Amino acid sequence: MNSDLVLRFGAGAKVFVVSLFAIVLSLIVFGIFVVLSGVNPLDVYRLMYVGAFGSWFSWQNTLLRSAPLLLTALCTALPAQMGMVIIGGEGAFVLGGLAAAAAGLLLSDMSVPALIVQGAMAIAGMCAGGAVIASAGALRHLRGVNETISSLLLSYICIAVLNQMVEGPMRDPTSLNKPSTRALPDWAMLGNIPGMDIHVGLIFGLLFCLATYMLMFHTTFGFAARMVGGNVRAARMAGLPVGRLILIVTFLGGAAAGLGGMVEVAAVQGRANATIASGYGLTGILVAFLARQNPLIVIPVAILLGGIDASGGLLQRRLDMPDASVVVLQGIIFVILLASESVQEGINLPGWFRGIKPRSSAVAVAEGAE
Amino acid sequence: MTSSLMHEPVPPQKAVKLEVVDMGKRFGGIAALAGVSMRVEAGSVHALLGENGAGKSTLVKCIMGFYTPDTGAVMVNDKEVETDNPRQAHMLGIGMVYQHFTLVPSMTVLENLVMGRSHVPALIDWKKERADLSNFVNSMPFSVPLDLPVASLAAGEKQKAEILKQLYLNVRLLILDEPTSVLTPQEADEILGLVRGMAHAGDITVLIITHKFREVLAYADEVSVLRRGQYVGGGKVADLTVDAMARMMIGEREIAPAAARTEQAPGAICLQVRGLTADDENGDAAVNGVDLDVAAGEIVGIAGVSGNGQSELVEVLAGQRPPTGGAIMVRGDAYHATRTEMLRHKLALLPEEPLHNACVGRMSVAENMAFRNFDQPPFSKGVWLSKSRMRAEARGLIERYRVKTSSPDAAIATLSGGNVQRAVLARELGGDVDVLIAANPVFGLDFAAVADIHGQIVEARNRGAAVLLVSEDLDELLELSDRILVMFDGKIVYETPIAQADRTNIGRSMAGH
Amino acid sequence: MDETSIGWWGVPLAIFAGAIRISTPFLFVSLGEMVTEKSGRINLGLEGTLIMGAMSAYGIAYLTGSPWLGVLVAGLVGTIFGMLHAGICSLPKVNDIAVGIALMLFGTGLAFYLGKPLVQPQAPNLPSFNFGWWSDLQQVQSALKINALFIIGVVLAPVFLWALRNTRWGLILRIVGDSSDAARAMGYSPLAVRLVATAFGGFMAGVGGSFLSLYYPGSWNEGLSSGQGITAVALVIFARWNPMNCLWASLLFGGASALGPALQSVGVTQGYYLFNAAPYVLTLLILILSSSSHRHIAGAPGELSVTR
Repeated sequence: MNSDLVLRFGAGAKVFVVSLFAIVLSLIVFGIFVVLSGVNPLDVYRLMYVGAFGSWFSWQNTLLRSAPLLLTALCTALPAQMGMVIIGGEGAFVLGGLAAAAAGLLLSDMSVPALIVQGAMAIAGMCAGGAVIASAGALRHLRGVNETISSLLLSYICIAVLNQMVEGPMRDPTSLNKPSTRALPDWAMLGNIPGMDIHVGLIFGLLFCLATYMLMFHTTFGFAARMVGGNVRAARMAGLPVGRLILIVTFLGGAAAGLGGMVEVAAVQGRANATIASGYGLTGILVAFLARQNPLIVIPVAILLGGIDASGGLLQRRLDMPDASVVVLQGIIFVILLASESVQEGINLPGWFRGIKPRSSAVAVAEGAE
Repeated sequence: MTSSLMHEPVPPQKAVKLEVVDMGKRFGGIAALAGVSMRVEAGSVHALLGENGAGKSTLVKCIMGFYTPDTGAVMVNDKEVETDNPRQAHMLGIGMVYQHFTLVPSMTVLENLVMGRSHVPALIDWKKERADLSNFVNSMPFSVPLDLPVASLAAGEKQKAEILKQLYLNVRLLILDEPTSVLTPQEADEILGLVRGMAHAGDITVLIITHKFREVLAYADEVSVLRRGQYVGGGKVADLTVDAMARMMIGEREIAPAAARTEQAPGAICLQVRGLTADDENGDAAVNGVDLDVAAGEIVGIAGVSGNGQSELVEVLAGQRPPTGGAIMVRGDAYHATRTEMLRHKLALLPEEPLHNACVGRMSVAENMAFRNFDQPPFSKGVWLSKSRMRAEARGLIERYRVKTSSPDAAIATLSGGNVQRAVLARELGGDVDVLIAANPVFGLDFAAVADIHGQIVEARNRGAAVLLVSEDLDELLELSDRILVMFDGKIVYETPIAQADRTNIGRSMAGH
Repeated sequence: MDETSIGWWGVPLAIFAGAIRISTPFLFVSLGEMVTEKSGRINLGLEGTLIMGAMSAYGIAYLTGSPWLGVLVAGLVGTIFGMLHAGICSLPKVNDIAVGIALMLFGTGLAFYLGKPLVQPQAPNLPSFNFGWWSDLQQVQSALKINALFIIGVVLAPVFLWALRNTRWGLILRIVGDSSDAARAMGYSPLAVRLVATAFGGFMAGVGGSFLSLYYPGSWNEGLSSGQGITAVALVIFARWNPMNCLWASLLFGGASALGPALQSVGVTQGYYLFNAAPYVLTLLILILSSSSHRHIAGAPGELSVTR
């Protein structure tokens, strides 16, 4: 029993150490990069820490930015449990925001209670986002269309739909230089968590992560879904309804991103316009990969990346660095993380970390040879 | 006189003599080869015999330059040579035909042959190459169509094309890795006969890797036997008996005799297939109207050369491929390979390549063992999963089926092939079984594991299960089945009860005659 | 209607002109990606490579005054990105699709970072040939103003087709893409061939990107590319890995992209943004029609993960 625990814990510890190593290495590479553009990297690191976690104010800023990341990361992480690489979170986010704005404006005109308006907005956002990603899932299942490409194409289409709606049928005539929908009335907006300057969207994100973690790792549904993700042939052989599982999980992933869009509209922007397509969907992909597609680990990783995001403003103001600095760092982390994953097999952690040695790959080679 | 002997270059048009001296190769802590020495005379057919895992492939891969041996040397015509990569081996006139063909499927035979040469011009003059190759093929004892893509050739023709390619590359020592595993007995006889003829004419030397005694006896002049990476014996085939070779191959281990089929009249029809059709990956019809019945308490074997629709048939029965028509019934109920139907009818499946077909590599052994019943009590309480129950149950199965694993929590992909197979066997046969569908269930396993798994299958049958056994190994079918059907071109073309089964007739039907 | 106006005839003419203009980056990216995919690997990072190409071409053209030098440097930058992709993919257990996503993000971020100072200045544009000199109509003249890169691309497509069938390199590429085992048995290193093929794909994507900033739209800004890279990757699947089909498919996509602006030019502004989505919708439809869940796509390289 003890040895089993060590084995399970050891594997997790290894992933943690490798990911940490990847992030540290990325920060070093980013440091070299900023040196080349004439900035002192120590200033950058210090400001990043200050901007992300240096004060309660920065913490609030960080948490605010991590809220949408929690939700968009699930849009990649949940389908990934089924072996699908979905990168259309941005589209689900945007369409979720648009649908939420539409539902919110419609219902607030009818002056129903705020809670019902907000509930309807959340449902509309989740359904719209869910529909986008579920269609990528359906196309994969029914027609064998590669879901990575189709979800990204759907994402561009969603952004076009958003632009069309806010420039056309849903445009508020008073929004001149930045076409938008009408603003939601204040009473219909999502409030803050009591005692903090953080909207309740953070709670939505945390709950969504916890709930989907329980679903994927502690229920029979999640077990079946992970079987499909691990080997669809084995899942079929066990008689599992593969298509239904794919549709449900992709819908859930899209619903998470759609809810993120709803939060962006109902708690931040107050209306739908082109600003809601601001890259949370793309960063969510990185969060999901860094969290090894595990909804529970998405939480700390989203906070970390939210912090990097939050510090971007400070870097821009104090050091006059371009706002794309953060994206560069994210890109470096992503690249190094993927490269480090292949190293993972080869390294051995010291002492008790190690647990039971897995069968060495050399043995597998020797047997594979015959 | 002596000087002319000493300066005699390697004759490129004659068979060569190969010697391996003290060859050793370790992978990690495991010695795959430990000081193997053997000699293959020029112009002979030499069989390299051994179980799976005995080191045969490692040995020839060292000779071919795929692996760098840790110790030892290769000598060609009594001269030590270096083979660091396959191209160098080719220069020395050594070539190999692999078990999994290495012709490029989408290219024509002509393109494959030309590209196989060590010197290909930057610009290829197809007209000239075509003319040259036609001349070459005409000088050979057999031919293949040059302008068809390899993918469209039958297995026997691919095998011939592979051999033709080696001969075209001027190979004088031809290594054949399990050359007959994808051929009908007639095709195997034809091809082995051809290469033996060329060897005895002094044109080539042939080294055949095999575990089939029949081929050794019929075609080889000499034999070397490997066991656990060591040379354990050999000599002229004429001086050896099958028993002697088997003893060398297996050693002194006791092999439990396969469980005997008890004499019993077949029960009621359990599995019925009617007019079943299905397509393959390319959308072409692979199963063309199969009808078959399997009664309770009988093993129905399906023979056939691979690629005649057997794997598609099994995939349809396993729910891995949608049928395009026809019906499947289990005990009279329509069957669509859903989970409820599989549970209700106690259906078990032993597919080929279990890691690829029946397991999730990165999930643990315990989880993999629960695939059939994770959603049933005691593994589930409502929607919740009980991992501790899964682990406890797996421990029992691991012990009963002697699955070698460090822990029930180890990822199943870290287990060896035989242990993955046993884990799947434990899952599928651990409970009651009414219908068992098995496809090449012992492919790639050693003697002990084969006897073990065969015993389990027969036992299931003796307990009253209806067993459908699909295999490319005719000997396995002849040993286990009550009835044998032959599948050719997606149809059942021949049926015989085991008492009247005859290798020649079965072989002929496998080839579609 | 005055004399020089050709009214609704302007729509097909504008679509024709747009097809040629807009198809050029598609053509270069898809020809390069065709080579990469023929080797059995997919590079989704070309979206990032395209943007890096656009930025670096613009920067170099601005600094040196030579647009062609910009094109060359864009190609070299693309080559580096391609080699980075191939290098990471050579590591064991690394998935080419994930690496592509990472490089998409990295390339985009880096281009925006380095390209910040380039938003204002004006760099010299690539030349074009005037095939419309014979006509007095201004619309005809502008439609027949064909850029030099497009002509190069049109020449390259049949050359690639010929090379894939008749040169040693072309056949090695096909062998590696179709069966790693066969390639290894013949003594070719799949990783090395894929490195060259992915680097070449990066070069072409970089050149394709240079077209965006140096010809059409002809300036550098962060909204320059929105999915042309990824669309081109999908287009290769539609083109069945045939260079000539890449040409036709690029023209089709260029035409679809030109639909919105063409209609706007004659006063149809309804649904302008939806028409902008036309190439994505078209790509998606084509993917749906050309895929199947139960069979392989005909002509797909055997080693390509995206079609397995």
